[in-house]
Amino acid sequence: MVVLARGRAGATARHWRESFMYRFVTSWPFLLPTIGFFVGWQLYPILRVLWMSFTDYYYLRVGEPVHWVGLANYREALADPLVRQGLLRALAFTAIFLPGMIVIPLVAAILIDRVRNQRLATIYRVILLIPAMIPGPLIFVLWKWMYSYTIGPINYVLVDVLHLFTIYNAPQWLGDPDLTFLAVAVMEWWWGLGYHTIFFLAGLATIPRELFEAARVDGASEWRMFWSVTLPRLRPILLVLVVLRFGTAMAVIDEYLIFGGFNRALPTYTWTVYMWDLAFQLGDWRQSYAAAVGWIGALLMLIVVAFLFWLFRPRD
Amino acid sequence: MSNGIGDSQYWLLEERLQRRELLKRLTTLGILGSSFGVLLSACRGGTTPAPTAGQPSASEATPGGGERPFTPTFYQWIINLHPDIEKGVNPDFAKKHPIDSKIAPVQGFGIERFVAEARDKNSTWDVYIGMTPFVEMAQLVEAEVIEPWDPYLPDDVKKDIIPSILEEATYQGKIYNWPFLLDVIVLGWHAGIVEKAGLDPEKPPKTWDELLAAARKVKDSGAAPFGCTFDAHGWRSLAPITHSISTDVYTEDGLFDFTSDAAVQALELMKQMMELANPDVLNPGKSDAGVNDTPDEAAFGAEQVAYYVKYQNAPIRFAGVWRDPSKLRLGALPSGGEGATVFWNTGAALFKWGKNKEIAAEYMKALTYDERIWAHSIGGGREAVGQLSVYQSLWDAWRQNPPKWMQDWAFFIVDQLKVSKAIRTHKFGLTQFVIGQPHWEKYFKGEVRDPRQALQEARDAVLAELKKQGG
Amino acid sequence: MVERLASRAPFARADAALQRPRHRRPLPWGAILRHAVLLLFCGIVLFPLAWVVLLSVKSLPDAYTNRIWPSEFDFSHYRYAMTHISTLPRNVLNSIFVTSMTVALATVCAVLAGYALVHLDTPGRVVVFSLLVASMFFPTRITSLIAVYEIQKQLGFLNTTHGLIFPYVTLSLALSVFIMRGIFETIPRELADAARIDGCGPWRMLLQVMLPLVRNGIVVVIVVNFVTAWGEYLLATTLTNDQEVRTLPVVLAAASGGMGQWAWPRIAAVYVMAVAPALIAFAITQRWYMRGLQEGALKG
Repeated sequence: MVVLARGRAGATARHWRESFMYRFVTSWPFLLPTIGFFVGWQLYPILRVLWMSFTDYYYLRVGEPVHWVGLANYREALADPLVRQGLLRALAFTAIFLPGMIVIPLVAAILIDRVRNQRLATIYRVILLIPAMIPGPLIFVLWKWMYSYTIGPINYVLVDVLHLFTIYNAPQWLGDPDLTFLAVAVMEWWWGLGYHTIFFLAGLATIPRELFEAARVDGASEWRMFWSVTLPRLRPILLVLVVLRFGTAMAVIDEYLIFGGFNRALPTYTWTVYMWDLAFQLGDWRQSYAAAVGWIGALLMLIVVAFLFWLFRPRD
Repeated sequence: MSNGIGDSQYWLLEERLQRRELLKRLTTLGILGSSFGVLLSACRGGTTPAPTAGQPSASEATPGGGERPFTPTFYQWIINLHPDIEKGVNPDFAKKHPIDSKIAPVQGFGIERFVAEARDKNSTWDVYIGMTPFVEMAQLVEAEVIEPWDPYLPDDVKKDIIPSILEEATYQGKIYNWPFLLDVIVLGWHAGIVEKAGLDPEKPPKTWDELLAAARKVKDSGAAPFGCTFDAHGWRSLAPITHSISTDVYTEDGLFDFTSDAAVQALELMKQMMELANPDVLNPGKSDAGVNDTPDEAAFGAEQVAYYVKYQNAPIRFAGVWRDPSKLRLGALPSGGEGATVFWNTGAALFKWGKNKEIAAEYMKALTYDERIWAHSIGGGREAVGQLSVYQSLWDAWRQNPPKWMQDWAFFIVDQLKVSKAIRTHKFGLTQFVIGQPHWEKYFKGEVRDPRQALQEARDAVLAELKKQGG
Repeated sequence: MVERLASRAPFARADAALQRPRHRRPLPWGAILRHAVLLLFCGIVLFPLAWVVLLSVKSLPDAYTNRIWPSEFDFSHYRYAMTHISTLPRNVLNSIFVTSMTVALATVCAVLAGYALVHLDTPGRVVVFSLLVASMFFPTRITSLIAVYEIQKQLGFLNTTHGLIFPYVTLSLALSVFIMRGIFETIPRELADAARIDGCGPWRMLLQVMLPLVRNGIVVVIVVNFVTAWGEYLLATTLTNDQEVRTLPVVLAAASGGMGQWAWPRIAAVYVMAVAPALIAFAITQRWYMRGLQEGALKG
């Protein structure tokens, strides 16, 4: 309104201000740094890998021509038992890891949310957050000790304190294929507990107190309030966490490289490790094929993510 | 700080050059505009390696200082196990030539960076000290990363290298590996445990049957929870045990013949040993992508097991954490017929696109003959690592006039070379064992009843992988 | 005002709880159970850390038995560790440098982009934002690795410390922009309009009007990027080789090589030295940290 009152000179200025060029010139410099990094180190690499996956490119074959091979790598990868096994293993880990990574911090958050002593609540939060401050590789080194057959405190408790096992049949946390994923998942829960608890605490804080009061007046039990008040209100946060952690769990690699190395018999040899192995280690580094393996994994994940979005869609 | 022993002026020049080059590339790329240039300058400023104070100046040592100082890079464990390299050898060498020593933590034998540079006809380093012939030599040669030492290796040194080691260092008729540290797969044992079990700790088992009987006695008598152990990686157990039966176990294509009778017998022996071993013996190790810090080491270090099959430096290092390290004994691998074992050396590769090649040869000679290294490696007490020299002249001199740090087991292990054989150098020299392991382990786990079938699967898997990689 | 509202939100519940009349019961079983479970959680979190501290002062023979309390202490491992990794100070500096540069760059990017996406009439903002969000649900880190390696090589960034910054910035970039956009959306558009009418240019508006209002959001972005860069492993191992250019965690993880040859209590000593400073820094700054995290998560 004020602008309108400014007369002719103002009108030309307004024309310029509304032109596409003006809008572009004044706004895009703000986006440029982000787009620069995003295109340079994410978008372009992904597309470049996509292109590679349609060729017969070997990194170590210097000077040899690269050919377009169409879908040959994908056909080969889909028939490759290691790819199928690798994807299934990643899914198996996700199935073990994901529920715990959501439920345990949710429980912790609900409990902390009800601690009335403010100082105590802060102390709990801080202690639970400590592992988040430790760099990943050091977490893995620490838990390799925890799980050690020879000196690990976990087996010490099971064997020497509780006498549930003997030194001959104690669990091999990182060697037994049936236990490995559970062992890795427990470590991840330990690592992520505080961080996820904080997420849920923030979500809980947004729920209006009155909702609970009203429910309580209606005689609802705590359990019922959790299902009908707390959970629906947390749905957006749940969606974000489930989707993000699904992505993390399916694409785990650091942990597997450190825990299992390149032993294909171990469950930790998933599609990500196989891709790394193909791209940077085996033979002539057949990066074209590794690229196809990477893209197959990525596509599978996208499909599941789409399903998750559908599952958590707003239902009002 | 960095081990850089170089001229500060040189560093400044190098920095400036690199920065200019970097900026140029960036601007031509023009992805992110000029703001990055500023940033980059800031970055370079932040990472400029500080010249080590008190080092001799390069301009005094080398005329025409435009060249870079001699730049070797070490596989990290070599520096860690042999501290005299950084404390003694390098400072002494720096009096003659400037040297800028680096550490290359090549994770699990990864050589990707060397290869990546060679593709651009370029190398940051001059030599890589940490190459084991059967592990990565063939790959490095075929990717044209390294070149032969022959023109630079002095004749007297060449003649001095123990012949079997020289043969191991040779590929396609040329010497690509300047040998440095010798490892032989032997049998180590804990004399205290063996004695407690009622066995003679000075009389090692001569055959595998004797070993199994002794190990069973240790376990049954309760002297230790476990009788014997080994490292599950094929090149550290399957191959040496196979060699103890026969060394004629390589196929025409240069691969280990998993389906040979000797390998089948070896696998059966390993399964029998497993029943007497720490239950986690097949688990991956804690470092280097599962290759190192393995469960057998932990069990032996914890004094839970009597007999131990591995290269000598493992029992020696882990006896170092015992209450009484003097209880360690070392002996030949039990015989299964031929009575051989496996050895390898870890030595130096000469980068094709590196510089200072004559100086590199001079350095390697100084390094490999330096007595301080051997005094620490053999006579270092709890810190001893037990890796040995590859030179006949040193051993002859030590035999005639043993230095006070010398230990008897050192002579014994070098003598093992007469009956040892290296694993054949091949592009899949190491990979074949990595890929094969899960297949032969099916026999250990009872998933496959017939050891030959398990090994056949291992061989098939290796061939399939080779095919996938295009031969 | 917005900021004050936001910062109060997480604590409002607790205040309300304090004011609520309490039931008079002799033994609050619910509270006891609650604290018991929380203490158990805390114990589980702290135990491994206490264990590793203990390991670092065990004598060598004790360190290789599974008994938790050693029969003999040995404090020499710290000196051993300090004198046996010649590159350690360099690695610490590398980590601090890479992390701080990453955090700074990512924060600037996220603030500018978040601002442009919400408060400027940016053509194509929907497309840009959708692409960024989509990338969060794509395993970019894994899938792009091969090409990132190639790019770094072409730029001459392989085996350089500063080269790591560029891929690092992108690791949490989409999330950072997402968070900042959420924070900027809490600022009423009328405020921006009013400022514009007063002749305030987009830069001045950001710096003088908006920036003070999004302070806590910036803390979140800093936190997110700090955690990402400080502990990054895969890119650092793949893109660098010389130990003196690597970051602290990569060198210390026994996985990267030589330390696997060390006796365990010595590795534990290095471990304690590596982890303790970050934990102390965290203990000091946790107040702001918590507030930032909670507000940031609110937008999630």
